[in-house]
Formats: sequence, C-alpha cells, structure tokens
Amino acid sequence: MNTRKLSRITAVALGLALATTMAAAQALNSGAQTIALNATLAESLTLSLSANAVNFTLAAGQAANAGSVPITATTTWTLKPGRTAVGVYAYFNTTTALTDGAGNNIPSSAFFVADNAAPSTALTANTPWTTGTGLQMANVAINGLNRSSSRTDAMTFNINLSTLPQLPAATYTGTLNVQAQAIP
Amino acid sequence: MSLRLQIGRVGAVLVLVLAALASRSEAQVLNSGASTITLQAVLSDSLTVSLSSSAVNFTLTPGSASNPGSTGITATTAWALKPSVGSVKVYAFFASSAAALTDGAGDNIPSADFEISNNAGPFTALTTTVPFGGANAGLLLSNTRILGNNRSGSHTDLMNFNINLTTVPSLPAATYTGTLTIQAQAL
Repeated sequence: MNTRKLSRITAVALGLALATTMAAAQALNSGAQTIALNATLAESLTLSLSANAVNFTLAAGQAANAGSVPITATTTWTLKPGRTAVGVYAYFNTTTALTDGAGNNIPSSAFFVADNAAPSTALTANTPWTTGTGLQMANVAINGLNRSSSRTDAMTFNINLSTLPQLPAATYTGTLNVQAQAIP
Repeated sequence: MSLRLQIGRVGAVLVLVLAALASRSEAQVLNSGASTITLQAVLSDSLTVSLSSSAVNFTLTPGSASNPGSTGITATTAWALKPSVGSVKVYAFFASSAAALTDGAGDNIPSADFEISNNAGPFTALTTTVPFGGANAGLLLSNTRILGNNRSGSHTDLMNFNINLTTVPSLPAATYTGTLTIQAQAL
C-alpha cells in the first residue's frame, strides 16, 4: 500500500515538473512589423560607338574604297517583359549619303557596311526612321534570359564607286546614323 | 485642628482621588479585530517591436551588386520578461525565399539577393531559416541574452538595405514590390 502511494506521489511530481518545464520553454513572440519594399528597374536602351569618324581615300570608279577604321556599336538594354526584339540599324537620313555640297553626291546605295565580318551590304533597306537608305545589322530576339543584356556590332565600311565613274574630285562628307529599337 | 476639620480634609482628598480614578477609567481605547486586504500586482510579460519607418525604395541598376535602399530603418525591441526567459532574438524575414520582391508577372528578386547591414555590420543576404517566414528566407538580426539586470529592457537594430542583382542579370525592367517583416522572439 505504501509503495503504491509513493509511486502515485512520484508520478504526480514528475507530471508537475514536466508541465513547469513546458511552460518555461514556451516562446513569447512580438507582433510582426512590416516594411514595404519598392524597387524600380527602369527600362533602357542605349547604343554607344567606339569612334565617331571614318575617313575614305577614294579611287575613281573603284569598287573597294575601305574606311580608315572599323567602329563597334555596343547596344545595351534592360527591357520590360512585353518586348520581343531589339533591332540595330545603320542609316542615312536621305538617299544622299555623302555630298560635296555642290550637287555631287554619293548615294546610300554606294555605301556598304560589313557587320561582324558578314558580307558587305549597301544601305538600301528601310529602317524604322527612313525609307531605302539603311541596313538592319542585328535583330535580337528577346526572351526571359536576355531582357537585360547587350550586343556588339563591329562595322567595317566601304564606298563602291563602280556605279559613279564620273564622280568629280572633291571632298565628300556625310553622317551615318546607328540606332537601336526595341519592339513592340 | 479639630477632629471634625481633619475628617473633612481626608474626605475631600478621598473624593478627589475617586474622581481621578473614575476619569482614567473612561479614557481607555477600544480596538476592533484586524481585517486584512490581499494585494496582488501583475506585471505581464511583453515583447514589442516598433519601426522608425515602414517603407524603403530602391532604384535598380541592371546586374549591379550595389542597389542601396533609400533609407535606413531602426527596429526598437522592448520587453518585460519572466525570469525563465534566456534570450530575445530579433529576426528579419520574407514569406518566400524565391520571391522577396516580384513584379507580379513571374519575375522575382529572391531573398538571397536582398541584403541587410545591421548596426553597421556587413551586408548579409536573407538565406537563413528562422522561426518565422519561409524557409531560407530570413536573417537573425540580434540575440540579446537576458540576465537579472535586463529582464525589462530594450534593443535597437539599425538596418540598411541593399539589393544585389549580380545573380539576376537578365531581370526585366519593372517595378518590384515586396514585404519585409521584423519580429522578435523571447525564449
């Protein structure tokens, strides 16, 4: 009888000790305080050139009149998810690519660009800004992996005078534009 | 002195003495029994966190490791604790490690790219599993040991924020929003 009583007392004591331990181990949590975060990644599309001038020493009637230096266009973009492509273009504002200012012109069809060692191509295509005076050098499809990215176009230049055998001696100047566009 | 006169004097003295005794007997105090009032004062345990501000903006540069938050925020944790409490810990966390901030169109900044510098310490990404929030989405800001002299006390955590975009170079242009939560636990 005494043994049974002792066992009961021991069991009750152990139970109380366990309950005390559990109560002591309970965590007290504060309320949760929140901080609203707002991060803006702005859309951008930039194009930079390695140089801004090219010289040509022309030979009358010659097909090959190479530019003095190649120029690299670096196009960099960070685009919204809806954009599907980035195009890079070289173009003249009119069909007159270079002129001596006295009515003698070199048309854009005689001006050639070779992009990234591809075949040299005359600037006779349409661009988003002009008609029949340009060349699309690149068309980069945009997907989830390159919405923020860049590309380079190394351009070498040539003036083909084979269609202008009677071009008078003069200094011809002009401005070639290089521009990128993200669509849509 | 005649006998009659002497008896008269003695009688007068006796009268005075009796009168004095009677007066003293009437001045004795009367006490009631003592009634008790039981007093109980309860100091409840408490643990609160308050923030100096509740919004941070970021202007992101694609692929850049350094995109600091517009402002630091101080979390003040105050407590009054029972003697059995051993420590107070303060945590910062997100609900999800995969999407700490999101543009809502499936493009996310993970908690691994969100960094906090606490009290001028090094910037640390929120990649730890803490008692609150998502797995691998938290950071222990501070751990204050509770002793006899600070069972009622407070602690401040000055947090500066940064978003590191080096691991998400193709993140598209968008506005990304999220909620960072600060919470304390006494254990």
